[in-house]
Amino acid sequence: MLLGIDVGGTYTDAVLIKDKVILAQGKSTTTHGEVLKGILAVLDKVLENQPVETIERVVISSTIVTNALTEGKTSPVDLIVMPGPGMNIKTSFPIEPQIITGYVDHRGKITAPAGTKEVQVKEKNVAISGKFSVRNPENEHLLANTIKEKAEKIFLGSELSGELNFIRRTNSAYYSATVADTFDDFCKHIENSLKERNITAPVQILKADGGTLPITAIQKQPVDSIFTGPAASVLGIMALTPPKVNCISFDVGGTTTDIAFWENGKPLLAKNGASINGYPTAARAFHMRSVGIGGDSIIRKESGGFTVGPERFGPSMAVGGTKPALADALVVLKLVDYGNYDKACEALKQFADANETVEEVAKKVLEVALVTIEKVIAEMLYEWSIQPVYTVDDVVKGTEFVPSEIIGVGGGATGLIDALGDRLNLSTSIPTGGMVANAIGAALAKPTLSASLRADTTEGFYIIPESDIHERIPSGFGLAKATDILEKELDKKCAELGISKQKAEVIASEYFHTMHSYYEVGEIIYLRMQLQPGILFPIEGREVVF
Amino acid sequence: MKNLGLVFFPAFDWLISPGHPEREERLLYTRDQLVEEGIFDLPCIKEYRPRLAEICDLQRAHIGVPNIGKLITPAHLTSAGGCLVAADAVMKGETKKAFALVRPPGHHAMRVVHGIRGFCTINIEAIMVEYLRSAYGVKRIAVIDTDVHHGDGSEDVFYHDPNTLYISFHQDGRTLYPGTGFVEEAGTPGAWGTNINLPLLPSTGDEGLHRLYDNLIARILDEFKPDIIVNSAGQDNHFSDPLASMNVTAQGYASLNKKINADIAVLEGGYSVEGALPYVNTGIILAMAGLDYSQVLEPDRSDLRHQDKRCNERVDELVTQVGRLWDERDITREKLLKACGNTFSRKKNIYYDEEGIREQQIETIHYCNDCEGYMSIKTDATNTRFGSQNAYIIVLHRGICPKCRQVAYDKALQAKKGRQAQYVLVQDIETGIIEEL
Repeated sequence: MLLGIDVGGTYTDAVLIKDKVILAQGKSTTTHGEVLKGILAVLDKVLENQPVETIERVVISSTIVTNALTEGKTSPVDLIVMPGPGMNIKTSFPIEPQIITGYVDHRGKITAPAGTKEVQVKEKNVAISGKFSVRNPENEHLLANTIKEKAEKIFLGSELSGELNFIRRTNSAYYSATVADTFDDFCKHIENSLKERNITAPVQILKADGGTLPITAIQKQPVDSIFTGPAASVLGIMALTPPKVNCISFDVGGTTTDIAFWENGKPLLAKNGASINGYPTAARAFHMRSVGIGGDSIIRKESGGFTVGPERFGPSMAVGGTKPALADALVVLKLVDYGNYDKACEALKQFADANETVEEVAKKVLEVALVTIEKVIAEMLYEWSIQPVYTVDDVVKGTEFVPSEIIGVGGGATGLIDALGDRLNLSTSIPTGGMVANAIGAALAKPTLSASLRADTTEGFYIIPESDIHERIPSGFGLAKATDILEKELDKKCAELGISKQKAEVIASEYFHTMHSYYEVGEIIYLRMQLQPGILFPIEGREVVF
Repeated sequence: MKNLGLVFFPAFDWLISPGHPEREERLLYTRDQLVEEGIFDLPCIKEYRPRLAEICDLQRAHIGVPNIGKLITPAHLTSAGGCLVAADAVMKGETKKAFALVRPPGHHAMRVVHGIRGFCTINIEAIMVEYLRSAYGVKRIAVIDTDVHHGDGSEDVFYHDPNTLYISFHQDGRTLYPGTGFVEEAGTPGAWGTNINLPLLPSTGDEGLHRLYDNLIARILDEFKPDIIVNSAGQDNHFSDPLASMNVTAQGYASLNKKINADIAVLEGGYSVEGALPYVNTGIILAMAGLDYSQVLEPDRSDLRHQDKRCNERVDELVTQVGRLWDERDITREKLLKACGNTFSRKKNIYYDEEGIREQQIETIHYCNDCEGYMSIKTDATNTRFGSQNAYIIVLHRGICPKCRQVAYDKALQAKKGRQAQYVLVQDIETGIIEEL
């Protein structure tokens, strides 16, 4: 049995899955300020009369990192950076960094050693980051070693991402360090609470890239577990109706709608990491956007016309709320059939001008919601279209994304999705079970891991920054051998983390001959491999009624 | 509006030949540096993808023999297209400035193209300049070429155009390819003074370059009153460049860029792919985006030398000599026009180093009191990839009067009838359409 828990902005859901069948599901209100309380409530609902000892794995997708940041449950951090020459980075990070000497050039050569004597540590949590540390992490390690007596939790940029982008790695290290205490505390409580319920299965945490990692591993990179709700919903859709064509998926919740793009049945991953409070990080996520339109989005009438969302003031009036919400408009238009129709009409009546029917008001409200969503889709299409291209081949072929279907899940999906499909002139589908898609996605998420290898044969070394490997290049080295080495390293990591071995895919590779004064002197090989995000298996049935 | 539009296209799958300086990894280290610095995430920078330029975009600036399509690869359409995207970003008001960091380069490609010369097949700046005119009606354009080599291709295309000011400073042609770019090459009679060559002595560094800019170039740029300034941003004046012998640093380039304050910059040469390009490009991008570039320094400065003391003397000579040429341009123009009458011809011997092509050209400008007139070109080339070939070309300038158009066409028809050339071509600069008779 697999247990999946998803903590959303409004509800906390849990599902129990056995033999590709949903055995039980539960829902409770998310308790803000105390995420754990909601989790325990839903856990007790779903586990009622279930043989807990047969649970093989527990996966949690939570808002704990997001909440820690918005609620200020963060710890002070010493941010120590080695930017070397280049851009002025004084204001590039959420806090003022301590800038010390130390530089690695783009080939991985240390041109200035880390200024170990300059460094000053005042806080228990420390983030260390150096430019080009992914080409050579020695300076970062040197600093970490120097301060290890004074600091408790140290996060290194080179360990948070193997990819280039000093600013993003630094921000990832900083955010990891600042949420580390809250996150560790949460993990400890989860483990204890599960133990109290006699669940001894391994616990994994969902990441924004749609993969899971064991608690001990994710504690080294807590920032990667931010924004997991959208990722969980994408995986849920994969489990319920794996899209075959290029499509756009919508997870319509109470407060927000999460939008994702799918190509040939696979969700598109964003080329860059997510931004937190406007600061770009290296935390990988799907190419997704969250728009403040949901079933409970409040309706307002202002001088310029209607507005919908982004706030939510409890449920819609049709189901007993006190303020008119988008769902009321859907009920009035008979696009959905739930709650009290009369109450919904009453909700919209207050907005009606003389001679205006509530249907006309509802249509206007729906229009506003659809336009808002449509605008975000257009932005996402634009963002995808301007992703960098490095080869002539890519320019000639083009990498345009053309959707042919839309899929909707989540509580508010019915109604809104059909209207959206009409508007975009695309066919729609709404899988059953979509109401708890996120929890299903969490329950079935596969672990992901990625690592990169860069070999510079002139220098005679290859590096795998994620594992701090710096080795002499063996004889007969080439792209094939590099792939082999990286694959073995990922297998080794899987074994260490206790996750099942999976085939890693090459997600990026580059190969260049390098020259010096007209003589070919070497090769540069860059390779990035990943255990791709995905689900363990699709859902084939259910024993619960949604 | 964002400060800078950036078109970054390193063409990782394009090379002239294995081992050539224009090979796949030329911008690899620059890409690494820009990504690592986080340049593409900066809120004041907007990234653009290049698009494929159309053949007619190319044909506003070039006449290819037998035709331009047979001489180029999709890479050329992409780098030219990258420049057009940069031009659009600025002209549509999406960004204040734009930088097309693209390859292949173009400033050695001349108006008539038989093959590749100086790593260039088509002139991406010239194509952009003509596009700015046709698509946006921009009239006065200044192109300042900061490549270490004389941009003989750009000079060739702009040479008769009084509305394009072309300024090139470069290592003296007596010591470096292409061996041209002397002060006396100042334009044909109708455009005298709008082609400014500033040959510098080898070893000139930041000091000499800025002395030249501050005392001469700044004034010329200012007095020309351009609507748009284009920087042909070659980077091989850098002290570590393997093909040249100058001493300019990333700081020197960045601060020069700030002074030029170009609307659009286009990458040209620069072959110190590890030691210079990552830093010079970072410096130029930061300067154009209005950000602090003071910390952009090469980690390895061991090749940096002090400039020879004669360098400043040469600069001062140029300031005097070219300053006078510039100040007297109107009088000189009048005098020259009077002396040449209705037509002006020049003979050119052009060598295509990349392919060993030798071309002989006679270019004749036909002046008209009512319009910009037209041009006739006889070109004869040997050793091209199509063997020996020749063409008779008529170039119809923008706003040509009906009378000139008629006379020009008659000339072309006559050439065709008399079988004066293998190819008889009529180019309409405004539309970029070339008609083969």
